[in-house]
Amino acid sequence: MINNNLLHVTLNRQGLLTRRNLLQLTGGGFAGMMGAGILRTLGLNAAEMKKQGRSCIMVFLRGAPSQMETWDPKPGTENGGPTQGIQTKIAGVQFAEFWPKLAALTNHISVIRTIAGKEAAHERGEFHLRTGHRMGPTKFPHFGSVVAQRLGDPESDIPNFVSIGNTISSGFLGVKLAPFVIGTPGDLPANVKSTVDARRFDRRLAALGQQDNEFASLGASYIAQEHQDLYHRAAKMMTSSRLKAFSLAGESDATLQSYGNSAFGKSCLVARRLVETGVPFVEIQRGGWDMHQDLWKNMPRTAGEVDGAVSTLVTDLQERGLLEKTLVLVLGEFGRTPKINQRTPTVGRDHWARNFNMLMAGGGIKGGVCVGKTSADGQEIEDRAVAVDDLFATMCECLHIDGSDEMITPEGRPIRIVDEGLAIRELLS
Amino acid sequence: MIRLSAVRGPVAFRVLFCLLLLAGTIVTPWTFAAAPKRPAKPQPNLPDLKTPEDKMKFLEMIRASFPVLRAGRNVSFDSEDLDRDLERQIAKGTSTPFAEIIDDETFIRRASIDATGEVPSAKQVRAFVADKNPKKRAALVDELLASDAFARKWARYWRNVIFYESNANRNMINPQALEDFFFEEFKAGTSWDRIVGELMSSSPARDRNKKPEDNGWNQDYGPNNFILACENKPELIASNTARLFMGISIGCAECHDHPFDSWKREQFHELAAFYSSGKYYMTDQNDPSQKTEMTPKFLLGETPPAKLKPDQRRVAGAAYLIYNPDNYWFARAYVNRIWSELVGDGFYSVDSLGPDKEVQHVLTINRLAAAFRYSGFDIRGLFRVLMNSRTYQRGIATLSHPEDLFTAVRPSRLRPYEVADNVERLTGSLGGLRKSMESTFDANPSIPQSDLEGSIQQALLLMNNPTISGKLANSSLKKDLVNIKDDKAMISEAFLGILARTPTPQESVRYEYFMKDVTNRNEAIDDLMWVLVNSAEFCTKR
Repeated sequence: MINNNLLHVTLNRQGLLTRRNLLQLTGGGFAGMMGAGILRTLGLNAAEMKKQGRSCIMVFLRGAPSQMETWDPKPGTENGGPTQGIQTKIAGVQFAEFWPKLAALTNHISVIRTIAGKEAAHERGEFHLRTGHRMGPTKFPHFGSVVAQRLGDPESDIPNFVSIGNTISSGFLGVKLAPFVIGTPGDLPANVKSTVDARRFDRRLAALGQQDNEFASLGASYIAQEHQDLYHRAAKMMTSSRLKAFSLAGESDATLQSYGNSAFGKSCLVARRLVETGVPFVEIQRGGWDMHQDLWKNMPRTAGEVDGAVSTLVTDLQERGLLEKTLVLVLGEFGRTPKINQRTPTVGRDHWARNFNMLMAGGGIKGGVCVGKTSADGQEIEDRAVAVDDLFATMCECLHIDGSDEMITPEGRPIRIVDEGLAIRELLS
Repeated sequence: MIRLSAVRGPVAFRVLFCLLLLAGTIVTPWTFAAAPKRPAKPQPNLPDLKTPEDKMKFLEMIRASFPVLRAGRNVSFDSEDLDRDLERQIAKGTSTPFAEIIDDETFIRRASIDATGEVPSAKQVRAFVADKNPKKRAALVDELLASDAFARKWARYWRNVIFYESNANRNMINPQALEDFFFEEFKAGTSWDRIVGELMSSSPARDRNKKPEDNGWNQDYGPNNFILACENKPELIASNTARLFMGISIGCAECHDHPFDSWKREQFHELAAFYSSGKYYMTDQNDPSQKTEMTPKFLLGETPPAKLKPDQRRVAGAAYLIYNPDNYWFARAYVNRIWSELVGDGFYSVDSLGPDKEVQHVLTINRLAAAFRYSGFDIRGLFRVLMNSRTYQRGIATLSHPEDLFTAVRPSRLRPYEVADNVERLTGSLGGLRKSMESTFDANPSIPQSDLEGSIQQALLLMNNPTISGKLANSSLKKDLVNIKDDKAMISEAFLGILARTPTPQESVRYEYFMKDVTNRNEAIDDLMWVLVNSAEFCTKR
């Protein structure tokens, strides 16, 4: 057998298709030998909900923000440090003083204060919070790749998963679902502009088509046809009217101002434009949260940028009627030590994964909810620990994806989208 | 589970039985000559393993304790044996005709890519075609295998294989050192057993006086990097040893009994215990607070003397892996990997074999593997057998029935660094673009070719990247082409320079029209070059 992987009998806990069943289905299907493609196609068929227009914006705060200086402050305690609290619209819930705009939006936004993480190293934490799985020998896909697979139109003329900044890849789901990475917000994707005029470009493409056809007839039909398919899709993307969603063209000065003049502000705006044009998953990032020292020096600017841009994003989505179908996540890879360290020249907080916080809004998330409670010193979860699996189960539910669905690795191992989490009921409307 | 077999027949029978019929018999665990009857007592005269040489000596010592299979010395399997064997077996299952033997132009490109990763120049292609020596293909194979490029190609390949799935911290590994180690060994003609022996018996330790990134893990010593790629973790070393050097997938057995295989969870953890520096415990599945101490045991049940120190135990593990005559997986995994790279399909997926019944044409690969073992794991010898065979020299086809496997060669995508090399061959150095090119064409080297896919970014990059098109327009090939006034000759030169073959008469005619159709000849030549560089063929081994 060309691809022995396809012959493996796999676990069938859910009574779902195994590779062997698949072969029987396709009549001993050597067509299946075309590779993982058919497996993915089958996965795609499950997405009858495709055109529901659901999407997700993941705002990743790289470096791990301190929960005590974000949305779980402990003013007046030793661990709380000098940070003051400000009242939100949720009774009895304060945000740290650096977040006035988001605090005022808590009718739309909810906070989880008790994510119980497992990884306190950046790379591993980023992997866990982006894939929903811990790093290990299996190459788990970014959640965005799963969303692109389940919600994206496979014939789309622009990618179904865009990331502004490098991120985790699609792992075993393969290159078609890999994040389309943009280096600078507002820039068109790399290499989408032809170096020659349209007439010459068409001539080149036509000649290429003949060249590939000939190669196909020489015995390379699979590679040559796939190659032609990719070039058609690439050419389609180059001329797509939706491509302008990557740019800031046509946005008024007032809009640009409201998102802020920072790269992060522009990322938020591009994210909104991409979602608006139908991209189901967008990741944007703001680094600079790894504040082992100089925490109180850096926090106002870093938090201020995110507070301003994300609050504008949520408001903008809401005003455009997109918030209902767009899940917004604001999170980092873990949190920071409740105890303030003794670093010089000025102090900060170190890595801490036992309890940290994040924000969620839109996409079926009820606003105005605060999930979980930490102790007065911030060291313990007093109520309602939320596992990363639970978070991903919630995200799946918001996006109408069945988290118990299995994806099959190239080794033939079935892997559930969410291992064993339970959606956070109190957040779902 | 391991089948205990009472078969202890004549040696010749055992060879056949073990290696051809795949009975998993157990060889008596090795003992030391010094104390054969009381293995439980502390062993005297155990060498102190201070240097890699000590370890290799120790490895030899254990190797010598395995039964010698004399009959094996006469096992030979040349290209003709291979073809006859395989053709007979294939003919039983299909009436599809075998693809024809490729012409000289196709052969030199295929053989060069396989042996050296390089696409031959127009000059090399012409010289080879013109060569009247009836044995020129064999001579070319010898020449390619003797080159440094051969050692570099396969060193890069193994570096990529070992690190592709590794999550090791960048500060504790040195992939380049591993590549250079492979390069030196391949170049020197070191046999596969010795290379793996060195990787498997290394025990890199943390030097507390140094920062990790300043060789704190002794990662600058190449052979340490297999263990470091496994983050020094017993479980990862165990699963990767099985995966990379035996071709079998037992990683699932870390958490549960293997679903489609005979590997049990205990076996996995007994293997992992081999690589632990202290005691090793398996956590109970149902009650994580319960832990069982595991004693090291290799996959066929080989148990090392209890008093071995951790580094001695690693060497023992390497010996069981490589030299236990009953471990047919070791030689076969290497043969299957190389075959898979060369022919485009393996007898089974290179690193995830389940039960043996998944192996196609099992008799042929077992004979090939046995011959490889008894050649002393001679790497170039194996390449010679494969590359001089008809099976390797057949035309390409996209096969549509499993029974047709090996009636033709599968066209294969070039590895990411080979795509970049192929472009730079025409454009000159791409500088920083090279790195993004390699990541755009990234692919797991252990996934079968039939499962690989291309991406839109790859297409966009070759289509539109201004650096590439700028450099192509100013390349020496372009200048040569502009100077050839006759279109037909120019087209022929473009094909040879870019695709390493002459155009077919049809192609020649088509591009002559193409040239006549435009007023600006310079632009038309750019267009022609663009088409050939962007063609599926350019990034494919055919």
